[in-house]
Amino acid sequence: MAAEKAVTLTLLSDLTPPSLERTWLTSPHPTLPLVATCSSDKTVRVYSLTNFRLLSTISGGHKRSVRTCAWKPNISGESVLATGSFDATVGIWRRWDNYEETARQRQQRDGVQDEDRIEAEEGEEEDEEEWRFAVLLDGHDSEVKSVSWSASGALLATCSRDKSIWVWEDLDDGDNNFETVAVMQEHEGDVKCVAWHPTEECLASGSYDDTVRIWREDIDDWGQVACIRGHGGTVWGVDWEATENVPSFPGALSAQVESWNQWHAPAGPRLATCSHDRTVRVWRRQPKAPASALGASGIPSIIRPSGTDETWEEDAILPAAHVLSIYAIAWSRRTGLLASVGADGRIVVYEERFVSQTSEPMETDSPTPAEVEATAPHPPTEWRIITIVDGAHGIYEINHVAWAKRADRGRDESREEEVLVTTADDGSIKVWNITR
Amino acid sequence: MASEMQNSNPTILNTADLPTRLRPSVSSKSSTYGSEFFASALPSLTDGALDPISDYSESPSDSESDGELMEEPIDEQEIYDLISTINDPEHPISLGALAVVSLPDIAIKPALPDVPESLLQTVTVLITPTITHCSLATVIGLGVRVRLEQSLPPRFRVDVQIKEGTHSTADEVNKQLADKERVAAALENGTLMGVIAKMLETCQ
Repeated sequence: MAAEKAVTLTLLSDLTPPSLERTWLTSPHPTLPLVATCSSDKTVRVYSLTNFRLLSTISGGHKRSVRTCAWKPNISGESVLATGSFDATVGIWRRWDNYEETARQRQQRDGVQDEDRIEAEEGEEEDEEEWRFAVLLDGHDSEVKSVSWSASGALLATCSRDKSIWVWEDLDDGDNNFETVAVMQEHEGDVKCVAWHPTEECLASGSYDDTVRIWREDIDDWGQVACIRGHGGTVWGVDWEATENVPSFPGALSAQVESWNQWHAPAGPRLATCSHDRTVRVWRRQPKAPASALGASGIPSIIRPSGTDETWEEDAILPAAHVLSIYAIAWSRRTGLLASVGADGRIVVYEERFVSQTSEPMETDSPTPAEVEATAPHPPTEWRIITIVDGAHGIYEINHVAWAKRADRGRDESREEEVLVTTADDGSIKVWNITR
Repeated sequence: MASEMQNSNPTILNTADLPTRLRPSVSSKSSTYGSEFFASALPSLTDGALDPISDYSESPSDSESDGELMEEPIDEQEIYDLISTINDPEHPISLGALAVVSLPDIAIKPALPDVPESLLQTVTVLITPTITHCSLATVIGLGVRVRLEQSLPPRFRVDVQIKEGTHSTADEVNKQLADKERVAAALENGTLMGVIAKMLETCQ
């Protein structure tokens, strides 16, 4: 235990200037070194992760707090941002990409520039902001809480206090047309969060009704394929594991990794959720039995669960580290590290590791396949807290956390480093460097 | 709002009997000789070292005069004084006089007990609706939460709950009042804020 590698989270920078009102969420751009921050002041601020400064303020579209936003993935040359507001609408905004160039130019000239000239340049930039309001998606009856784009960028999911989830298709017809593909109303309370599967058209949602639900399209109909119970309070956040994720393995056997991959491929990425009940939980999908196995079980095909139903089980409850509501989690798609933040103002980072194989006798005992399935769905792992930062935003609650690719000049260019971006009640946004 | 009153005949306490620090003269009137009487009976009271009042008010400011804590410590009585003057949405009567809020049902605790240096504190207020099915309980709770969030420094986490056993849908109301996002959205709802503003009119 004492030999644990020391992991520290150090503050790289604040994003400046901040909002003077509560900020809810900061969304990192899928490819560019940019983030967008939603504020109660009804605007979205776009900051550079290269120099941590404000690039644009998107305003004028929403009549109430902007609660959420998400960048459309899989497009180039242009950035598209979806925003969700307490005014019950979702806005779509567009801008031709040229931030990167201006940021790079500025970086090159940084040596000869003084503060005044930087300010002057930013003044100019403000004139050429060019964020274009594209369309307002109207449909929800009350506050929009979360928006998420599917991996392909073709679908946008939105959810609201009206207990519904809407799936919209971006027709990409050059005319900003969106078509309503589905309205799903199974949740019994506010839908707080939605997140798309990293590769498939499969959606996860968390709610005020304490459940997590999984949604898929079956032929032409979108529907619920699983309702996951377990949390004892509002589910504030959901995030998916990367498809190729492997727990870290100090001294793990390659056999462990291999059997992990064998389990992981058919089971698919796991899902992490966080809640008012102060827990972070990880859920795994039971791999579907091959058709032949079902046939062998003798269940007539007519009463078999429909092809899309899925069984999700609790995989782990992460070590307790929060004393108040946990508002957000972020499961790094690059490193597999998971971070959580909440009302207690803490940032907690967890790591999943293989547990050293003490169960060698198992192989000689040769348990029946059913037993293996029940007790050891995958090689045993454990989650450990690798660092905690108390009062990360002073006395303020932290509403959101996200991983982003490091882009400032202090980065090590030989490898892809990650930073953690946290967003708080006082409007502050902080960028953290994780070192070990 | 409902056109008919939910409780047209509530029990009302005499405001002069309510505990407060806002009217320091109230208790001294009846004790013109009393203070002398007690002073002679308990001479040690005049000795500052044993006086529970001065002990309370002086020692914290002494020990925390390192500039770390500029604000005065806030106690339950001060919380009570902030919320007892809120008016009931149905009656022109204060929540204190209706005994919807009461001093013993207010508690201040460290929010992070495992972090002794943390300044975060949780204020818990249990409210007692005047009748067990009062649908205005949420509005009253919201009024209390808004009042405290507007008056207290941000290091306080406000926790407003319905007192156990006093309301038929307490869990539902508690969940709403504890939901930061719902409370934030409610503050942007003009109609609801109109009601809350009217309730808070009577607060200084």
